[in-house]
Amino acid sequence: MCSICGFPAAPGHWTEAGASEAPDRLRARFRRGQVLNAVLRSYGVSAHDGGVVPGIQLASFSGAQSIVPDLEAVWPEVERLTGRVVDPLDPRFTAPAGVGGA
Amino acid sequence: MTASAEPASEGRLRLTVVGGYLGSGKTTWLRHQLFERAFGRAEVLVNEAAETPVDDALLAGAEGLRVLSGGCVCCTARDDLITALRALCDARSQRDSRGPRAEQVVLETSGLADPAPIVEAIRADPVLVYHIVVSEVVVIVDALHALAQLRSEPLGRQQIETADRLILTKVDVAGPADLSRLVATLRRINPAAPISAAILGTPADLPPLDPDAAAEDLPALDGTAAAPVFPARLVLDESTDWTAFAVWLSALLHARGDDVLRVKGVVRTPAGRLLLQAVRRVVQSPEILPEQGPEGGREDGTIVVIGRGYEAADLSTSLRRFTRAGG
Repeated sequence: MCSICGFPAAPGHWTEAGASEAPDRLRARFRRGQVLNAVLRSYGVSAHDGGVVPGIQLASFSGAQSIVPDLEAVWPEVERLTGRVVDPLDPRFTAPAGVGGA
Repeated sequence: MTASAEPASEGRLRLTVVGGYLGSGKTTWLRHQLFERAFGRAEVLVNEAAETPVDDALLAGAEGLRVLSGGCVCCTARDDLITALRALCDARSQRDSRGPRAEQVVLETSGLADPAPIVEAIRADPVLVYHIVVSEVVVIVDALHALAQLRSEPLGRQQIETADRLILTKVDVAGPADLSRLVATLRRINPAAPISAAILGTPADLPPLDPDAAAEDLPALDGTAAAPVFPARLVLDESTDWTAFAVWLSALLHARGDDVLRVKGVVRTPAGRLLLQAVRRVVQSPEILPEQGPEGGREDGTIVVIGRGYEAADLSTSLRRFTRAGG
């Protein structure tokens, strides 16, 4: 942890455990931003991770913005921004192809 | 713990939580383990819900023993636990790392504690998260009384659901029919946890069980869904990358953490083979496993999800949607 800015507040989140080398980590962050953005689009939220600023940037289509430290913090934040729970077992993710879907 | 698990602790203290219902034999089991030095150089924390501690007298032989009495560490005395653990970490940090110092903490919870909030509290504490890694939740089950407790106590069921390992005590006095039914019931509540037996703390063989014994139909208690718990297998093929899987799983645990009781498996990632374990909403720091030789027959990329209240097929459909999202 940096003694000046206090980042990161916890040693490596579990979702980031799959990449140990710097290039892998950066690739994983880009991919994470891409998947999140696609999943959250149907909830009216966009996600961005440029690989420079720590954290994931979220923006609702109504203009609200926030930065969260890791994936686990994304979901309660989206809930706060939109008032809806992102549930992977929601029919929009489980319906057969062609019926709804993200 | 196995040698392969060592690098993942990164110098952090390993914490073993010993739980189990009132009178299930936690202290007896722990006393024997300490006598056998099963935990190496271990600090022991004992929590008793009552004001007057008794267990410390039984565990007098332990090195570094602390008793937290007058409250249960999963709820009322949680702050006391955090303070005690912080003090342990402080004391350890001040000692020379080349000399002998404790590598393990064993926490014996009170019989009224649910281990899950304890694990969550440690993970949420900004100091402890750097110093402690929860290595195992061992739950002691009383072979004589557990069935009666499971029928009426939601707490008894929560303890079993949270366990990484179940140890049946008093197996020498329980009848074989009751024991078979209990084991079947435990396997239904927590299919992932290995079950072993102990008599007065000494490991014992489980007596021959009736393989056809039916699990007890437990009545629904308030707050406990009546839906049966079932294991589902998720196979991650080459197209499922770890990052997309992590996005999916973190969302699933956030939305369905009360229904998804256990997630376990080995996933292939750019960093190596990752052992993933989650209990309800709490995911343990994944461990990097050594590469297995050609003879190691472990299936990588298979995740077991144990839970209730959803269709098994929906899990894989939804995961596929997440993976394909974003191209």
